[in-house]
This record gives sequence, C-alpha cells and structure tokens, in this order.
Amino acid sequence: MTENETGPSEDLIETASESLERPRKQGGLSDTKIRRYTRVYVVLPIVFLLVTLFGGMRFAAADHSFLFLPPPLICLIFGAVTIFLIFRARLIDFESWFDERHPILENAANAGVILVIFAASVQVYNLLLPESGLANWVVTALFVWTLWNDIFADFDQKKLLRSFAGLFAIAFVTKYLVLSNLAVKNDASWLQRILENPGKEAATWFLDLPVYSPATGYLQFFTILLFLFGLFLTPRTANTKKLSS
Amino acid sequence: MLVFRRGNYTTMRTSYFHIACLLIVAIGMTLIVFIYSTQPKTFTEIATKSSVAIGTYEVNRSEFENGIAAFRRDEFEAARAAFDRADPEKRDAATQFYVAYSFYRQGWGRVSNDNGLFTKGLSAAERVLQLDPNYRSADPQLVMRTPIELKAELEDGLKITPSDFNPLKITRERK
Repeated sequence: MTENETGPSEDLIETASESLERPRKQGGLSDTKIRRYTRVYVVLPIVFLLVTLFGGMRFAAADHSFLFLPPPLICLIFGAVTIFLIFRARLIDFESWFDERHPILENAANAGVILVIFAASVQVYNLLLPESGLANWVVTALFVWTLWNDIFADFDQKKLLRSFAGLFAIAFVTKYLVLSNLAVKNDASWLQRILENPGKEAATWFLDLPVYSPATGYLQFFTILLFLFGLFLTPRTANTKKLSS
Repeated sequence: MLVFRRGNYTTMRTSYFHIACLLIVAIGMTLIVFIYSTQPKTFTEIATKSSVAIGTYEVNRSEFENGIAAFRRDEFEAARAAFDRADPEKRDAATQFYVAYSFYRQGWGRVSNDNGLFTKGLSAAERVLQLDPNYRSADPQLVMRTPIELKAELEDGLKITPSDFNPLKITRERK
C-alpha cells in the first residue's frame, strides 16, 4: 500500500473518530457514566468501608490506645432491618441493582456495594448502642420499637433518610453526651471518686458504663455523618440505562 | 469498525469499574476483619501484625543482641524488656527461650524459688514449645539447651517435694 493510499484513509478514521467523540463530549453522557460509575463502584464502597472500620473503634480512656469492638448479634439484626427498609422505601431499587439480564460481573459488583452498606449499617448500630449494662438494654429496646414501627410505616427515600438521621442523632446524644457524662473517669481511687462525686460514681456502677477517651465521641460523630452521606450518595438505580431513559 | 471498537472500549471501562469495586470490597473487608480479629492497640501494632500476616515479620536483631548482653550480666528485667522490643509478637522461639530462661535465673534461689517468676517462665517455655517443639539453643553458656529441659526444671521448682527439705539443697548451683 502506498503513502497516497494510506493517507486519506487515516484522515477518514481521524475525522470519523472525532465525529464520534464530539457528541460524547457535548452530550456528556460518557463523562456522566464515568462519574456515576466512580460514585457507585469506587466512592460508595470506600465510604461504607470507612464506616465499617470506624463503627466499632473506641479510644481507651487510660492511654488513648485503639479498641476494636466487634458488633453484637443484635446489631446484625438491626442492620438487616435497615437494608430491608432501604429496599422497601426504594432508596435502592432492587430490580435495577440485581437483574438476570445484567452481566454477572455487574450483579456481583452491585452485591458488593449492598454488602458494604449492610456492614456499615451494622457498625453504625454498634457505635450507637451502649456496650453493656442497663443502658444497653434500654437503648436496644428503643431501637427495636422504632425499627419495628418503621417496617410498617409508609416511607419514601427522603422520609427514610430523615428517619435514620433523627434516630441516629437521638441515640448519639444519649450515648456520647448524656451517658458518657454520667461515667466517671478512672484516674482517681475508688474512695476518692465516691467522696468527690457520689452521684456519678453511683450512675457508673448502676448503669455499668464503660469509660472511653473523649476522642471516641468525635470519631463516632463523623462516622455517623459519613454513613448518612453515603446513603445520600447512593443512587436509586445502579445502571445508567435506566437513568438516561 | 470504529463504532465496534468504541463499543468494546466502553464495555471494558464498565467492567473495569465492576472489577475495581469487587477488589475494593474484598480487600477492605479482609483488612477490617483482620484488624477486628487481631485487635491492635497502636499504629505500630497494626504494622507489626500486618507483617506477621503477610509473612515478613522479623526479630529486631540489635535489640535481641542487647537482650542477650543484659541476660549475661544478670540484668534480667532489662533483658526481657529488650527481648520484648525485639519480638513484640512473641513469635520467635529463640527470643522466647531466653525470656523463659531469664525468668528461671531471676526466680532461682538457693533456699527457695520465686513461684511468680517461675510460673511466668513456665508459660514462656510452653510458648517456645508451641512455636518450635524441636528448638535447641546453640548458646554454649546455657546449661539447659531445650525448652523441654527448661520446662521440667521450672515445673520441678514449683512443686513442693521432700527433697526441698534436704539441707544439702543449698549446695546446688543455678543452671
């Protein structure tokens, strides 16, 4: 093949590829897809994995060392109910995320995202429930009551997000502001603590409250915000075909 | 042709995102399960436990040598502190053997032994047996070279037997 013959065909290819690129750039469909895929398949898993990591993390009061508390069984149940509510309120459209017409890889990736949402919601309940004692029983009972009512309530996406935000806010205030202020730091002797602050010492003993470093509250506050931000970012439909239609 | 190639290109990109998602989830969940199961207390411990998990854990040789030097000077607490720094995960049979031996030598008494130190030495000797049942020390200055001998000596020291009341016992030597 001579240079004269190849030259025009290459020009044609370039022109054709430019004409194909132009609508992509002008319409922004491809860029939108890339941004959406980045959000769903990269940003969301990272956000929810961070929530999963930090949800059980506490700082010891004595030396600020890390403590990683695995979630109790009840948190798994709460997490499952949360996922059920997310599907029921159509915050996530199940038919769009899992479809037999999709490639297996896409279904697997979507299942991975749902898995991290479940793990993160389990850890959010882990961080909100008091670890032991009477307070644990009371807050668990309140969560059961609220989630049981939510199952039968008529939700849409916004109402569900508001409901979660309200539930988490009140539980956070209860645990990290009210109950943590009732717990006595263990830097004084038992007798000294009783003499100086008998009310707090009695509350610590009666409620069986563990004492953590104040940094725990800050970390858990941002963990809850991150979880709600992750839910806010979660699209109802997973693929862009339904989005564009 | 070009459309076909472009179509291929788009499909590849989509599958890249799906693969990336699965990798992020798998690696992330593995890391989280690892952290929650090993319970590290500091960032240093996270690094040490990670090196154990991936098989690159090594004893700090200089700290180990410091420990040996302190052990030979009969500074057993300093020796154990150096051995702890050398082998924070307690995974090296040689280091743990010296730890057990230091408890034995510190706890040994001509008239009576320190039961607390001997008990700690016994648990260290058992740790050595778990790590390497066939371990044999190459140190010529040690009388007992295997964890089995050391364990037997420690167990013997913890028991009260008629031989403990033998006055000739004070003539025995520390091993």
